[in-house]
Amino acid sequence: MIDNKILNKELRKKVVDMVIAGKDGHIPSAFSIIDIITLLYRDVLKFDASNPGWLDRDYFILSKGHGCLALYVNLHQHGFISDRDIDFFCKKGGILGEHPDRTKVPGAEASTGSLGHGLSFAVGIALGLKIQEQNNRIFVLLGDGECQEGTVWEAANVARNRNLGNLCAIIDWNQSAMQLMPVDDMPKKWAAFGWHVLVVDGHNESELSNAISSIEYKKDNIPTVIVAKTIKGKGVPMLEGHGIWHHRIPNEQEYSQIMEALS
Amino acid sequence: MSKSTRQQFADTMLALSHEDKDIVVMVGDIGHGMFKPFAEVYPNRYYNIGILEPTMISMGAGLAASGLCPVIHTIAPFMIERAFEQIKLDFCYHKLPGNIVTVGSAFDYSNLGCTHHCYGDFALLKTLPSTEICFPASPIEFDQLFRQSYQNTQLTIYRIAGTSHGVNFNPEDIIFGKGICVHEGDDVTLVATGPHLKTVLTAKNALISKGVNAEVIYIHTIRPLDVELIRASVEKTRKVVVVEEHMRSGGLGDDVLRVTYDIPGLKFHSVSIPDIFVTEYGTYEELCESVGLTPQALLLSINDWFES
Repeated sequence: MIDNKILNKELRKKVVDMVIAGKDGHIPSAFSIIDIITLLYRDVLKFDASNPGWLDRDYFILSKGHGCLALYVNLHQHGFISDRDIDFFCKKGGILGEHPDRTKVPGAEASTGSLGHGLSFAVGIALGLKIQEQNNRIFVLLGDGECQEGTVWEAANVARNRNLGNLCAIIDWNQSAMQLMPVDDMPKKWAAFGWHVLVVDGHNESELSNAISSIEYKKDNIPTVIVAKTIKGKGVPMLEGHGIWHHRIPNEQEYSQIMEALS
Repeated sequence: MSKSTRQQFADTMLALSHEDKDIVVMVGDIGHGMFKPFAEVYPNRYYNIGILEPTMISMGAGLAASGLCPVIHTIAPFMIERAFEQIKLDFCYHKLPGNIVTVGSAFDYSNLGCTHHCYGDFALLKTLPSTEICFPASPIEFDQLFRQSYQNTQLTIYRIAGTSHGVNFNPEDIIFGKGICVHEGDDVTLVATGPHLKTVLTAKNALISKGVNAEVIYIHTIRPLDVELIRASVEKTRKVVVVEEHMRSGGLGDDVLRVTYDIPGLKFHSVSIPDIFVTEYGTYEELCESVGLTPQALLLSINDWFES
């Protein structure tokens, strides 16, 4: 098995190459969540890349759609999408844009981009599968800035009151939200809505893995949220934090610096 | 007392659910009494979700993604206007099927004021490429239209009228996507949707006394629109009036004009709600009178069409 840390560096490089080729994309947002998504696809989710609609699959919904490069490279890694798909990121005739499109991308469960939709959609899926007495698990990854959207808390309220224990939300707590609203105790907020709350280092494989495997995923239980402390741009010091890199394309020199940092 | 269209909605859900185990009804904290029999028989397929319309719509799309058939119900402005982006993205962009059933369209809740009015819903929904829209204004229409369309592959919106037009159609005459020629005539085409079929029939009778024989077309399905029926009638009469409780902008009148504009000598008039907030109080009938949705206003508007 490839060491996960090495794999994540290679996937990070692929993200950067896609942004260079496509001349668009959110690198730091992808780097904030790529360790989480890579772990999910490698060790957690049940899926069949040759049959993305397999009824027994687990669902993964990337609610913060602008982090989609982290999803795309994992879908490519596991055979959902092709080399050509990657090469045509943000190009005419391609299926991969700056936000995932459920109707185009095999393995993408939701077309996200407008923040505050993914959890509500996931709650509907979780309720639907519970009604049908199915055992699929539903994972949904949200940004902490996204949690400023009111619909997130509408959905959190419903999920708890309907006991959707088959649902696990993961919060990319990279403190983007605190730039505008510094009072932002994410674990307490979710606890106040009655969820089972786990707090982990979102770049620490064993912490993440232990948290995910500790959940029972019982259909009639309280839902769980993993608040993952992350760093936007994690892996390349010059990209880390909340500065100019949110939606910037590296020039030739910067590209070399980024690749050097990832080598 | 005859059954309301809304009660028929609840009755149809219960009847269909005996056969179709995929139906899941979600309401936004309205209609509990009406749906009590349904909830008692199918407790795991009826959910009073709460007062959170955007999430209720997204959840409906999620139910559809899980393989179920969502039927989502609450008051029109809160569902169509507040949760419009959820309808647009989570159902339409996702290409997921589902059913939205509204009450309180136009100014059915007249005294509750503008917060509870919704007369721009056709216009909004028509911007969404894949929606189907119908406006049943009698119990049999709801039952027939729902049965014919609820399992289709896109989102269907049923705008339940608060008032019936009082016409008893035969079930076999109610076909989703097809208009109904209620009265044949040669001199002018009167197109009505919703309760204002009654308004148009009153106007038709008044016109007969003046020697004008109006053709009356009833439209229960706004989209897909029965273009053939409308165009054939207007090609014959060269004059058309559309009567609807919807804002002038973006309503059925706009659609009728779009499909008839090139008919030589066309005369067109829209009897509808002006592009304003209706801020008056009073009964539904009083507000209709206030905005000009009456047989008298209709007749006055086309008076000069028949002066010799």
